[in-house]
Amino acid sequence: MQLFQPEEVIVERGSEGSPIYRNLRNALPLIPFRTVDAGSTHGKTDFPAATFGVTKKRLFLTQHKGDFLKKCPGSDGQVCCNYFVINFASNCPMDCSYCYLQEYLADNPELKVFSNVDDLLTEADKLLSNHRRFFFRIGTGEITDSLALDPYIGFAREVVPFFAEQPNVLLELKTKSDCVEALLPLDPKDRVVVSWSMNPQRVIDLDEHGTASLSERLLAARRCQDAGYRLGFHFDPIVEYPNWESDYKEALDLTFNSVDWRRIAWLSMGVLRDTPSLKRIIRDRFPRTQLLTGEQVLCPDGKLRYFQPMRVDIYRKMLRWIRRAAPTVKVYLCMESKEVWEQVFGFAPTCEKELGNQMAP
Amino acid sequence: MSEMEIRQYAKDKGFHPQTLERWLGWDQPARDTLFRLAVSLKLGENHLRDLIDWLEEIALRDQSTIEEILASKPITDIESDPRLGRADKLKRVKEELRRLRFPRLVQIEDSIRARIQEIKLHPEIRLTVPPGLEGGKLRVELSASSPEELKRLTTKLAEAASTDAARQIFALLTGALGESQAKLDQFFSG
Repeated sequence: MQLFQPEEVIVERGSEGSPIYRNLRNALPLIPFRTVDAGSTHGKTDFPAATFGVTKKRLFLTQHKGDFLKKCPGSDGQVCCNYFVINFASNCPMDCSYCYLQEYLADNPELKVFSNVDDLLTEADKLLSNHRRFFFRIGTGEITDSLALDPYIGFAREVVPFFAEQPNVLLELKTKSDCVEALLPLDPKDRVVVSWSMNPQRVIDLDEHGTASLSERLLAARRCQDAGYRLGFHFDPIVEYPNWESDYKEALDLTFNSVDWRRIAWLSMGVLRDTPSLKRIIRDRFPRTQLLTGEQVLCPDGKLRYFQPMRVDIYRKMLRWIRRAAPTVKVYLCMESKEVWEQVFGFAPTCEKELGNQMAP
Repeated sequence: MSEMEIRQYAKDKGFHPQTLERWLGWDQPARDTLFRLAVSLKLGENHLRDLIDWLEEIALRDQSTIEEILASKPITDIESDPRLGRADKLKRVKEELRRLRFPRLVQIEDSIRARIQEIKLHPEIRLTVPPGLEGGKLRVELSASSPEELKRLTTKLAEAASTDAARQIFALLTGALGESQAKLDQFFSG
């Protein structure tokens, strides 16, 4: 994997005392740092959508003003997996053609890292210690990649020891990178799941720009497993194309041959989805991608997905290949309706808590 | 055909600048072919946008050109059919392009429609499937003007539900596309 390097680091005044700043300084001695006042526009453009890719080249270190912990928004009318998210950064140094951040962050596309990790940990501590009866799954990969920036910002090193001590949480670090070096010396105490978004190498080559190859992801997964971490795999987005079956079956076989499936915390599946507005952005930024030529229809939640019988067929096949290799691994669908759950698994979770509880260790 | 003519057409129809920009972004043979079709079918913006989407996506998927797609026999046959009025031509051209753009979806829709006809239901019983087959459910509508008629229709419906055709409809709706093309073909051939 070609490691991303920012061309410049812009530091908002007040962030210089943070451990993230210190880590950045140590890791990027040759990259220019510029300090700006809080609220400064520091070269923001008026046409962010047109420069989405360009804005990723500068890293902006700032303080997060609102709550760090949020309930995952899921999607209207779809079965939810009761997940919380921590946004320690915003936007991602990688550049997947299908990435929903192109739309979600269109008006605010800067690559930001939040320096006030202490506030994040205080907030998490309050939530977890005040609700010890409840079990939480918390992820950091909703609006960024959990680990792609880690070689520079050292975020994992700052938070894993805290979450490892909590009895009622699983922290999920979700990535398409192989940046796991900092995790290996830490003891996760069964409270941290490192997970990978997975796709066949063909999809990675065509549409997951700047990410680790399939074999690099699996090697990193193996190293994490050997270091005591539980693993997660997200076959999401599944892309349908001629002969997709053999590619995905091979990717699943490679996965189960690379790691001990008994220590896989969960595996999720979700087909490619976008919105009409995201589709326009993808068409503009990646005009040659074949992603938009699939047989997608508009679903009631406003997202485009492959038409239902096709995606049920995709999930059933994937599930059969998974079950053959890993009979008891926990599998769930991401952003799918109750009807699709029933057609794939023969049941749908009665409520989001049920699904969330199933994921508890 | 000049860019000016396309601009004038878009202006007359009140198109959004983004739609015009997309159209003008095509190479000249492609945009001229669409212009001829737009003028002959008096395309409004929504229809035109659908056609632009589908044509671009078909061309990208099949590595063909927009002119080739619009010059295909099914499309030119519709355009030159003297029995069809403008609205019918537009409807059929769109159907044909949708068929090209969503071949497997349309194949399943056609197959379900054929199974519904096979059941030979009373006209007061209407079976439909949702757009894009989303939801995986068959919608049943009954129109009855008396309890006796309702009873008669529900009996007919119950009989219909136990036919092979009804079973096949639900199998198609619930993703039973089969493991192989052979099985799929068998399904569609009944």
